[in-house]
Amino acid sequence: MASFIHYLYDFATKRWLDGFFNAKSKEDIAEKPDRFRDFPTVEKENCIACGSCTASCPSPNAIKLIRDSDSEDAHGLVYPEINKAACIRCGFCSEVCPSEPKTLFCGENHFIHEDFNIIPSKRKYIVDDYLCIKCHKCQDNCEVGAINLVDNRMVVNQSKCISCGKCLDVCPVKGAMKGVYIANLEEQKEIIDLTVKTLEEYIESRYDDFKEIHDDKLFLAELKFNPLYEKSLEIINDEELVSDVLDKAINRLNIRLVIWDYDKCTNCQLCVGECPTGAIKVDDTSSVIRDPNKCLRCSICYQTCPFDVVSYYSAKFNIDIKDGEKVIHITVKESQLAKRRA
Amino acid sequence: MIIYYNHKLKSRDKVIKMLKTLKDIVRKSSIHVCIVNCGGCNGCDVELVACLSPRYDLEQYGIYVHNNPREADVILVTGAVTEQWRENLRRIYAKAPEPKVVVAVGNCPQSGDVFAQEGGRVLAPVSDFIPVDAAIPGCPPRPSEILEAVLAVAPGAIAAKGRAQDKCE
Repeated sequence: MASFIHYLYDFATKRWLDGFFNAKSKEDIAEKPDRFRDFPTVEKENCIACGSCTASCPSPNAIKLIRDSDSEDAHGLVYPEINKAACIRCGFCSEVCPSEPKTLFCGENHFIHEDFNIIPSKRKYIVDDYLCIKCHKCQDNCEVGAINLVDNRMVVNQSKCISCGKCLDVCPVKGAMKGVYIANLEEQKEIIDLTVKTLEEYIESRYDDFKEIHDDKLFLAELKFNPLYEKSLEIINDEELVSDVLDKAINRLNIRLVIWDYDKCTNCQLCVGECPTGAIKVDDTSSVIRDPNKCLRCSICYQTCPFDVVSYYSAKFNIDIKDGEKVIHITVKESQLAKRRA
Repeated sequence: MIIYYNHKLKSRDKVIKMLKTLKDIVRKSSIHVCIVNCGGCNGCDVELVACLSPRYDLEQYGIYVHNNPREADVILVTGAVTEQWRENLRRIYAKAPEPKVVVAVGNCPQSGDVFAQEGGRVLAPVSDFIPVDAAIPGCPPRPSEILEAVLAVAPGAIAAKGRAQDKCE
């Protein structure tokens, strides 16, 4: 009985009657939540017309690349156009868009952020599965348990790693545990470029010494390490990084040398058409000239020339310590490629 | 016991019948809607069902989902037209009395969406088979977008068509 009276009382209130006769949804039903991914928006100016948005789109008619008509002073813009009648708002186009800043924007949650390590380290530790012998020494010595066996491979968990470098010291195989420098990539490239250029110039300057060496015989030479090291330090002043990059670069380097003896050249111009990059050209005085900056060292000219103008060598390098000083051992060998003899 | 139960049911039936007739009288002036899924993924249909939920509550706007084409004012079409629907879609459209409005819900009836792949077997768009008055983009569209579109197009279109018919006569 008490509840019945309560209901009667409740039904009789103005609030209930208002609610009953003016039942309406609240206005917030039309609001979209913040995380809602709406149709992509296009910033025409940023587009580089690569077409990755159309390639990634799962709906066949949703994105079209269109090009505006050319005006008198500029080419027409190329940009993607979204067809709302086919777009499924998946955000893939925005995710793959490589332009900087992006051309397509679609929901904030679809930008990929790289995971980062809070420890500011220049090196990233990676296990080379090809060389790893699975001795588990790095796993046993890791202080934070970042190294584990996953799918029968030793894997470094990058979010746990504190970059102490202990694993690098205990690894019994040279090169199986790698501490890759992930910072200053441009400078690293410059150092490698410099190394290749100095070594090539040095060998070419001594061409007269190994001119007569044929077949399996080797020409040995030595170059001091320090001048190269000091020049590299000028590029970036970081001794640890420079010595590491030089060590790795020089020990693995295999330079191919193409040396031209212009005295023998008869200007037959057989090589001109064969060169894949157009590095060989005929100048005004109708003599043939090779541009070393364009040359790929592919050896096609060497195999084409019937007059022995071109000689082709391969060189290998090794860093060693001699009399308490670092030196680069150089080994030059004539190429064993088939050749058309005159 | 059974008799008592039946007796009870009968009196309840009477009340329900009364309420139903009352509802019918009220609903006579509302927009009758018929949902036709001609071969989609059901995503849009789920959103349409969400419109019936208390949060969106279709009937407060005078929209009544009747699902009977013979009484429909508005036909909501979802899905990319499949082979089986080629004839049936026209039949359903013919059954609806004039004036009638066709609203394409979602992307499928407009473009075929992800089903319109090369070598696919869908016959979208729907407008190849029946005249479409309004289209709601989205895969699927939000319930509020569906509501907005139906309310925007239905009363006006019905009135316009009604007037056009009067002129013809």
